[in-house]
Amino acid sequence: MRIRIYCIFVQSICAVVPVLPLHFPSPTSRLPAPAAAPGGAALWRADTIACSPGAVRATGHAALDAQLPGGGWPVGALVEILQAQSGQNEWRLLLPALARAGQGMVVLVGAPHTPFGPGLAAQGLAPQQLLWVAASAPAARMWACEQALRCAEVLAVLAWLPQARTEQLRRLQMACSENAKLLFVMRPAQARTGASPAVLRLLVALEPGGDGLQLEVLKRRGPPCAQALQIPARNGRLAALLASSQARAGRRHSPVVPAVAGDGLAACGDMPGLQPFARVGDALDSLAGAA
Amino acid sequence: MHWIALQAQPERACAQAPSGLGTGVADTAGLADATTALGWWALQFTPRVALAGPAVLLEVSASERLFGGREPLLQRLLGAGRPAVGVRTAQASSSLLALALLQINPGACRDIDSLPLALLADAMTHLATLERIGCTRWGDLRALPRGGVARRFGAALLDALDRAYGLKPEPYPWLVLPEVFDLALELPAPVEAAPALLFAAHRLLAQLQVWLRARQQGVLALELAWEMDARRDTAARGQLLLRTAEPTLDMGHLQRLLAEHLARISLPAPVLALRLRSVETTALAGASASLLSDALRAGDSLVQLLERLSARLGPAQVLRALPCADHRPEHMQVWLAACPAGPGAGLCGVAPKTRPAQACGAASAALYPTWLLVPPLRLALRQDRPLYQGPLTLLVGPQRLEAGWWPASEQAAAEKRVGTGAATLRDYFLARSEQAGLLWIFRERLASGVQAARQGHWYLHGLFA
Repeated sequence: MRIRIYCIFVQSICAVVPVLPLHFPSPTSRLPAPAAAPGGAALWRADTIACSPGAVRATGHAALDAQLPGGGWPVGALVEILQAQSGQNEWRLLLPALARAGQGMVVLVGAPHTPFGPGLAAQGLAPQQLLWVAASAPAARMWACEQALRCAEVLAVLAWLPQARTEQLRRLQMACSENAKLLFVMRPAQARTGASPAVLRLLVALEPGGDGLQLEVLKRRGPPCAQALQIPARNGRLAALLASSQARAGRRHSPVVPAVAGDGLAACGDMPGLQPFARVGDALDSLAGAA
Repeated sequence: MHWIALQAQPERACAQAPSGLGTGVADTAGLADATTALGWWALQFTPRVALAGPAVLLEVSASERLFGGREPLLQRLLGAGRPAVGVRTAQASSSLLALALLQINPGACRDIDSLPLALLADAMTHLATLERIGCTRWGDLRALPRGGVARRFGAALLDALDRAYGLKPEPYPWLVLPEVFDLALELPAPVEAAPALLFAAHRLLAQLQVWLRARQQGVLALELAWEMDARRDTAARGQLLLRTAEPTLDMGHLQRLLAEHLARISLPAPVLALRLRSVETTALAGASASLLSDALRAGDSLVQLLERLSARLGPAQVLRALPCADHRPEHMQVWLAACPAGPGAGLCGVAPKTRPAQACGAASAALYPTWLLVPPLRLALRQDRPLYQGPLTLLVGPQRLEAGWWPASEQAAAEKRVGTGAATLRDYFLARSEQAGLLWIFRERLASGVQAARQGHWYLHGLFA
C-alpha cells in the first residue's frame, strides 16, 4: 500500500512539474529486480509504462493501446473519461472494446440521451446486452453502479457521474477492483484539475476541423503522456460515406458533373449541393465489393 | 421402536451449553419458531415426527436401514445443516423415556427405575402427593398396586408409565409439513419505523427457509403483513407483497428486497405483530456445479440485480431494449421495464404491439447514430440553415423516410406531438457542428395541401457519439 501511494505521488509530481529533473534509476541499475520487490506487480518504475497487474481488454484503437499500460482498458479499475459535453464521444471510444468483450450486460447508468439500439447493434453491441438505469439523482447513480459491479453477469458499467466526489469514486474503484469489471466513468472536462482515484484518466475532445477524436492521457501508470493522440474513430461505412461526400463536395466545383442513374429512392432537387443518400450507398457497395 | 428426542436450546445458552450428547452450532440463527423448524427439518429422516412441548420426537426404527444403521443416522442428525442454533438430543426405546433422558445428564442415568418422577410429564400434577407417600422414582410408582394407583391418581398416570416402559403403543399426531407457509410473530415491543421491522422479518425469513428446504421449493411471491396498534385511529393492518422473478432460497436476497420496500413505507401506528405468508412457490431446479474453476463467477445473478435496482429506483428507471421492426427510428426500439417480476411486466410480460426485429439490415444500420433524442429537438434557423451550438454543415443526404401513414391510434397522438401529421415524412441528413460533432437531423416534409406553403421544421434526432 505504501509503495502504491509512493508511485502515485511520484507520478503526480511528474504530471505537475514535467521539467523537474527526477533521476529514476535505469532498469539496469543495481536495485533488485521488480519481481523481487515487495510490491510485486503493483510496483512499476515511474519512467516506464507499467505492465498492468490485472487483465486488460484491447481498446480497438491501436494508437491508444500503445499508450496504455498492458495495452488496453484495465479490467477491475476505474477509467475516467473527461469531455466537454456529456454524451459526445464515448461510444466511439468504447464500442470497439465492448463489442469484442463477449457476452455480458453493459450497464448504462444515467445515460445523457436514449441509447439507440440499432445503431449500437450495427457496431457489434447487441441490444440484449444493454441495461439502462435512468436514475437522475447522483446518490442513486452511485448506488446503482456499485450494485451493477457486484453482479456476476455484468461485463461493463458505463456511468455518467458529473457530480461525483472523490471519496465516492474511490468507493467505486474499490468495488470494481473486487469484482474485476470494466468501469468507465464519464465526467465533465472541468474535473481534470481535481484529484481522482481513477487508474486511467483520458480527456477526450473532437479533433479541431476534423471528425476524429483527440485524446489526452491525463493519468496512467507510467510517465505522463506528452502528446495528444489522434484517433480516427468512425466505423468503416460511416467513414467511407463521409469521405465520399467530401470528395463529391470537392468535385462539385468542377464543370463535369457525373450523370447519376436515378434509382427512384431519393430526390435531391430541393437541396442543391447535397448528394442523395442512396447513390452514395451505391458507391459504397462498389467500394465494399472492391475491398 | 427407537425414539430420538431433540430440543433446541435458547440462543443465549448455546455458548455455555452443557456438553450433552449433541450440542453444536449450526449456520442459521434467529428462528421465529425453533421447535417447529426443527421438526420440519427432521422430517427428512423419518415421516414420524411429533412435537412434544419444547422438544421434537423422532421415531426412526423404520428408516434406520435407509441411512445405513442407527449410528450413521445419528451422525447425520448431529452433523451440519440443522436449523436451530444448539440442539440437545437423547435416545431411548420409548418416547417418554427419551424425553426424560433429554432433561438430565445422560451419563447420570443407570437404570430406568431410578429416574425421578419429576421427569414424567403425566406425574407432574400428583408429584406432591406421590412424594408424601415416599414415591419419588419411576420404579417406586411401578411397584405400587395398579388398581390403587388407578383409583387414586387416574388411569392416565398408569397409561403414561406403561408407555414409558414400552408396554403400550404410543400414538402421536405426526407432524405434517404445511402446504402453505403462514407464520405470525408477535413483536417483543411495538415498532414505530418500518425499516425496524426487518429484524423481526429476518426471523420469519429464516423459518421460511427451513420450510422451503424441506419442501425443496423456491419462493416466487411472499406477503408480509403487519398488525398495528388499534388504539390509534388508523388502519389496523398493512401488507407488502414481494415478488421475485426466479424461485429463490436465498434469504439474503429476499431480505435486501424487503429492506428496499420497507424503506419506502411509513407506518401510521406502532406495529405489534408480523405475519409472513408464502403466496406462490415452485419446485426448485438444482444448480449444476462445474468441474472447472473458471466457470465459477462470484456475484449476484442478473435477475437479482434487476430486482434490487427496480425495488429502489422504481421499475420505470431500469430499462432493457426490445428491437422492433419499423422504419421510423423512434419506433425501432422500445425500452421496457427490465424487472421480470414487477407490476406491469417487462420483456417477458405484456408484449407491445410491435413485431420484434429480425437481424437488422446491415446496409443502412451502420449509418445509424448511437444516441437518439426522444422527442426530437426542434432546431432554430438562421438564413435557412439549422442551428445547434452554431450553424450546421449538411454533409450527406437527404435520406427520405415515408412511413407511418397507416392510421395507428395511439401512435398518431405521439406523432402529432412531434409536429408532423399522422404520417412520418422526413428527409434525414448527416450534419456537422463544430462544437457537437456529427449529428443526425431531419427536416419534416409536409403533406401537400394547405400546409404545403409552409416550410418544414428542422429537428435534431440523433448524435453520432
